[in-house]
Amino acid sequence: MTGIEQRPICDGVNFRAIRDGRFKTVRMSVHFMLPLEKKTASANAILPFLLTRASRKYPDFTKLNEHLADLYGAVLDADVQTLGDVQILSVSASGIADRYALRGENISSDLSDLLCSVLFDPLLKDGQFPEDGFSQSKRQMIELTDSEFNDKRLYALRRCREIMCSEEPCGVGRFGAKEDIRSLERSSLTSVWDNLIRRARAEVMVLGDCDPEPVYRRFSEAFCRLGRASAVSCPTKVVKSADTVRQTVERQDVAQSKLVMGFRTETAEPDKDVPAVKLMSVLYGGTPSSKLFLNVREKLSLCYYCSSLYDPVKGILAVQSGVEQKNAGRAKDEILAQLDLVKKGGFTEEELKAARMSLCNSYRTISDSLDGLEAWYLSKTFSDPLRRPEQEAARIQAVSREDVVQAANRVTLDTVYCLTGNEVEKQ
Amino acid sequence: MNQIQTVTSERTGEMYYVVRHSSGLKIYIYPKAQNNSSYAVFGTRYGSIDNCFQVSDEPAPHRVPNGIAHYLEHKLFESKEGDAFARYAKTGASANAYTSFDMTCYLFSCTENVYDSLKILLDFVQSPYFTEQTVQKEQGIIGQEIRMYDDDPQWRVMFNLLGALYHTHPVKIDIAGTVESIAKITPQLLYQCYNTFYNLNNMVLCIVGNVEPKRVLELCDQMLKPSKPVSIQRIFEPEPETIVRSRVEQKLSVAVPLFEFGFKEQAANGRATSKQLAETDILLEALSSPASPLFRRLLDEGLINEASFGHEYFEGPGFASVIFSGESKNPDAVAEEIRAEIQKIRRGGLSAEAFKRAKNSVYGRNLAALNSTGSIANSLVSLDFAGRELFSYINAVAGADRDSVLRRLDSQLLPETSALSVVSPVQ
Repeated sequence: MTGIEQRPICDGVNFRAIRDGRFKTVRMSVHFMLPLEKKTASANAILPFLLTRASRKYPDFTKLNEHLADLYGAVLDADVQTLGDVQILSVSASGIADRYALRGENISSDLSDLLCSVLFDPLLKDGQFPEDGFSQSKRQMIELTDSEFNDKRLYALRRCREIMCSEEPCGVGRFGAKEDIRSLERSSLTSVWDNLIRRARAEVMVLGDCDPEPVYRRFSEAFCRLGRASAVSCPTKVVKSADTVRQTVERQDVAQSKLVMGFRTETAEPDKDVPAVKLMSVLYGGTPSSKLFLNVREKLSLCYYCSSLYDPVKGILAVQSGVEQKNAGRAKDEILAQLDLVKKGGFTEEELKAARMSLCNSYRTISDSLDGLEAWYLSKTFSDPLRRPEQEAARIQAVSREDVVQAANRVTLDTVYCLTGNEVEKQ
Repeated sequence: MNQIQTVTSERTGEMYYVVRHSSGLKIYIYPKAQNNSSYAVFGTRYGSIDNCFQVSDEPAPHRVPNGIAHYLEHKLFESKEGDAFARYAKTGASANAYTSFDMTCYLFSCTENVYDSLKILLDFVQSPYFTEQTVQKEQGIIGQEIRMYDDDPQWRVMFNLLGALYHTHPVKIDIAGTVESIAKITPQLLYQCYNTFYNLNNMVLCIVGNVEPKRVLELCDQMLKPSKPVSIQRIFEPEPETIVRSRVEQKLSVAVPLFEFGFKEQAANGRATSKQLAETDILLEALSSPASPLFRRLLDEGLINEASFGHEYFEGPGFASVIFSGESKNPDAVAEEIRAEIQKIRRGGLSAEAFKRAKNSVYGRNLAALNSTGSIANSLVSLDFAGRELFSYINAVAGADRDSVLRRLDSQLLPETSALSVVSPVQ
């Protein structure tokens, strides 16, 4: 069982560490959190990319990457994601543990120096980020947005969420709109960076085969020196239920239609009923023995995939499937019919037990990977009390059949989105 | 009698057992006692390229429909007693399977009931059950899987490249086949392929994680049905040294063009050795990693982005190619820059620093892969089929020298055997 150590660094900055010699590597990351807003989303989002290109100590992109390669292919990574209506801006460094270095290098110390260097001591010219790094980051962010369009399954899922949450902050998306990225100006970014390091809530994580103590001291020093102002609060809006169903059909030149249905569940963190919705979602469409898989795929042969996923922070349940254009209606009807069945308690004890075991299995697996641990604890940033994955598994064990039925009965359909081919359907 | 051998790696502190089981099966057991989870793979040396084969005691070769190995994978989950997923549902294991060019693997991961789950795996893979009706049912499901890949630009750009590189080798054929080819699949053909390739002498079992070797072997003794040794000849038409065409382009609904740029090699009769593979990996790292001059030039010219640009050594029975891939507004210019850089290295070699950096990076990446039970299990199986071994590969990386790495250029990355595949936006 893996223990987590946590302590505050300063106001709004928290430090979490899991030391575990099972891993060959160490992963350190700093996650800044700000409320998602259309007017700031793109400017915030470019920062992790911009910061990881160079720093005052490593002013050249190639030299910086040579240094990483020398450290046995260490990786300096930038990422932007959303958690509810919060934008998370992350910079991380991972590398092999010191004990495996071929020439006795102190890799973890180098990695924490490197992270502090790119975050707190960036390369600035006349108080501004240099033009070449800025235009590189901007171009690559636009290309990242474009590549999400290339992946139709992901694209459809994202579009459904955008439409469903158009009146909520998270509808803005992790990077903001493409036109907002295009109109970013270099001159504004220094103050955006200053706001990020001084006002955003931050989580520092150190995971793997590494003594967290020197890393704690390094970050503690760096954050304290900033003279931080009080951290910005990060609320998330939860829409409990839907009154009418929004329907959108989008046409593109595609062979297979993608159907995504977004539901409201009336249940979001920190409600005590969250575990019941999690279990209901797995029973309904989370495994190869779930209702959706066994009926939409196996019984009706309509699709290759049909699954459901619950977002406990927003209280949204999404069902996705890839179907022949002419079968989209049938698939939708069957997806709703299976939900009705769960609402009426139309599932066996065996099905319930299987869903419970599968979900607990996935929670217990989390501690076996650093990425899994990081994602888990990051998603729990705003949760109180902080639970280990194994504790979440115990909560799932306590969910009853009646809880699942009640959870299903709180679900309402909000949005139906279908990405489909250009051929007009023959009547 | 079972023969047990221990394989250890001082460098990484890891070890595993290899068992030559009396049934004919080769078994890898890699204990990770502190893990919550275990991961098992049962694989056969049988993939999409095996569409023409001859068994030792038969007079003539058989030709079977394209996509049949993958179809068989889907259908093996069903047996007289019901569906394997339904059986796994009782143990809580997360199960799956995949078919590649040269192997088919069935896997699960779990945190409890590992021996019950292993029993299910060993049982269903050894119990084929194909009827007209169950075979018919799968046509719709796999049909949709094929349609999904028709819209997947990464999949399309790869197979278009393979079609440009290979005249006759079946590696150019889509793993799932086509809607037309799978329509020809019958229960009799499935049994014929099953009886040929699912012979334990042609298979490997690997389990990594929280397991006791003794109990694994007891279960194997109980479950494995001894197979008569068999020799299977894969029959490939002779593949010319030349490529088919140097450029191929397809239009799809994408926002940013994608490319794969490949260099075909003469594939020897056997597979590449650990040493050759390690040298190639280091060479490619030095050539095109983010620390390389090539990467920097491509980035400065706005020709690639960091999220998508990469390389792989694509090697299997009767085929071998180096492939560079990514997104680019001008793939032809990327290809030109890559060709020029290869020529530069051919003439001027690699600096000692560049070589050391590339070697460090490849070493670090492979060490990090030992964190993951899934990565280890799948590697051990594919390495076994290729006649290689995990720890000796890592040692070959650590022990590689610059001259041998450069000598790979004598037979690799030859300009006359390169082809570019592009997927570009519609309109």
